[in-house]
Amino acid sequence: MKAFSAVVRRELIAYFSSPLAYIVMAAFLLLQGALFALIIGYLSQPGQSSLSILQAFFGGTIFFWFFLVVAPLITMRLVAEERRSGTIEVLLTSPVTEAQVIAGKFSAALAFYLALWLPTVVYVLMIKSQASVDWGAVAASYLGVALIGALFVSLGLFASTLTRNQIIAAVLAFTGLIILFGMPLLRGLLISSSGFGAVIDHADLWQHMADYSKGIVDTRYVAYELSLTCLFLFLSTKSLELNKWR
Amino acid sequence: MIEVENLTKIYVDSPVVDRLSFFVPEGQILGFLGPNGAGKTTAMRMMTGFLPATSGEVVVAGINLDADPVGLRRKIGYLPENVPLYPELRVEEYLRFRADVEGVPRAEFPGRLDYVIERCMLSDVSRQVIGTLSKGFRQRVGLAGALIHEPPVLILDEPTVGLDPNQIIKVRELITELGQDHTVVLSTHILPEVEQVCERVFIIDNGRIVADGTPDALRTRLIGNPVVRVEVKGADVDAVESLGRLPGVVAAEGRTNGVFLVEHLSDADPREAVFHLAVERGWVLIGLTPEQATLEDVFVRLTTADEAASMAREV
Repeated sequence: MKAFSAVVRRELIAYFSSPLAYIVMAAFLLLQGALFALIIGYLSQPGQSSLSILQAFFGGTIFFWFFLVVAPLITMRLVAEERRSGTIEVLLTSPVTEAQVIAGKFSAALAFYLALWLPTVVYVLMIKSQASVDWGAVAASYLGVALIGALFVSLGLFASTLTRNQIIAAVLAFTGLIILFGMPLLRGLLISSSGFGAVIDHADLWQHMADYSKGIVDTRYVAYELSLTCLFLFLSTKSLELNKWR
Repeated sequence: MIEVENLTKIYVDSPVVDRLSFFVPEGQILGFLGPNGAGKTTAMRMMTGFLPATSGEVVVAGINLDADPVGLRRKIGYLPENVPLYPELRVEEYLRFRADVEGVPRAEFPGRLDYVIERCMLSDVSRQVIGTLSKGFRQRVGLAGALIHEPPVLILDEPTVGLDPNQIIKVRELITELGQDHTVVLSTHILPEVEQVCERVFIIDNGRIVADGTPDALRTRLIGNPVVRVEVKGADVDAVESLGRLPGVVAAEGRTNGVFLVEHLSDADPREAVFHLAVERGWVLIGLTPEQATLEDVFVRLTTADEAASMAREV
């Protein structure tokens, strides 16, 4: 447990001692702020009440377009940099297990990702001051943000264990995320069989997020995101163990 | 303290480390000496459990690597080649991190930190960011990290590479000091380092130990008889023969400008006899010095392919 928290702490220090963290945070807040202003402007026109602010804010694709790029930036460093610099050798010859290392790195990356979202709570408070807020839907929205974020981060972490080059790690993660997110969108073009098509439909993260933003927490969605996250964490651990054999 | 039995690493088809077997008693400073690519780093990585061995056994402080890899890691302080560190951390933060992952109880933190910071002379830089430190300081931070959990065994891979001469001296002094209460295995391709620091040397070539002994023993055993260099003015024509007939002398050889090399048995120093001979013949004795054959000669002879085979047999 101490080793785990030491890894988490070191990763967090690494995030906040690089300019990348601040650039990502600033860009994220700028985009979300602009989006929020646009949504408010749009919804305050008469006759546009069919959509809730939360649905527009969390259910839109901006969430994905931003994080398809940002998640690889958050995760690319995690293992690749340790392998490049050789610090992995120190880490793996100390009495910690690969699983502890992966768990620590994942938690730190997820914490950073969630920290990006923290300031958006202000928007919710702003809405509350002017109108009523459906707290259930707010909680469900943030739950969706966390679950899908965990999935993205775990995939990026796995990509980072595959190489010692951060750029390659980022490209691998980006490719993986595009496939994960894009396949359901292109379903009509790719797959004709209706059986497999239905499976793909269930994997549509955009649909998941749209439902979360309405306050619907479908356990199938939760299970999908959690199980894929666990799968990628498992693969990361195995990949780290296998690295020794090279 | 360290037992290694038939340790082997095979990449594709060729062995990088070939049936390495040795025993290191407690408190010894052992040097792995060998050219680059001889298998020193691979052997060390296998001993620390970073690299799985193709076959063979490693036992450190009574713990078998295969049976309890995590337990064995607790017994070893390892400093990999090129001293990998996290450049964004401060020295103290790094040492705390190492203490945590090495499993030092929190209650012992202050004591351990003070100890390694003092021992490795880091008190001036303990608040500095590692990325801003000079190579010599980084080396000492790496050593401090390896010491933080009081391991009985230290494994140091090329601990003085890339340092300037002053830093090298400091790091060597530190290692010699650490040798008083740790069993140390270090690798190097710098010969004087081995002669200064190590009590015992393995010369490693192509993954095998081609020589094993104290630096002195290796010298005498492998270089042959000691030699005295005699320099005189006004030597006779038969000087070589006269020198060769002195008691204990094996052979004498004439060089230019009145220089003679006198090879003698190691238990019979001929210098007195040389002096008397010179007086008797009326030679002016200018120089009389024992020739120090260096480990360098041993090294070159052992690691050049043809010689190595015949030498290894002799040993």
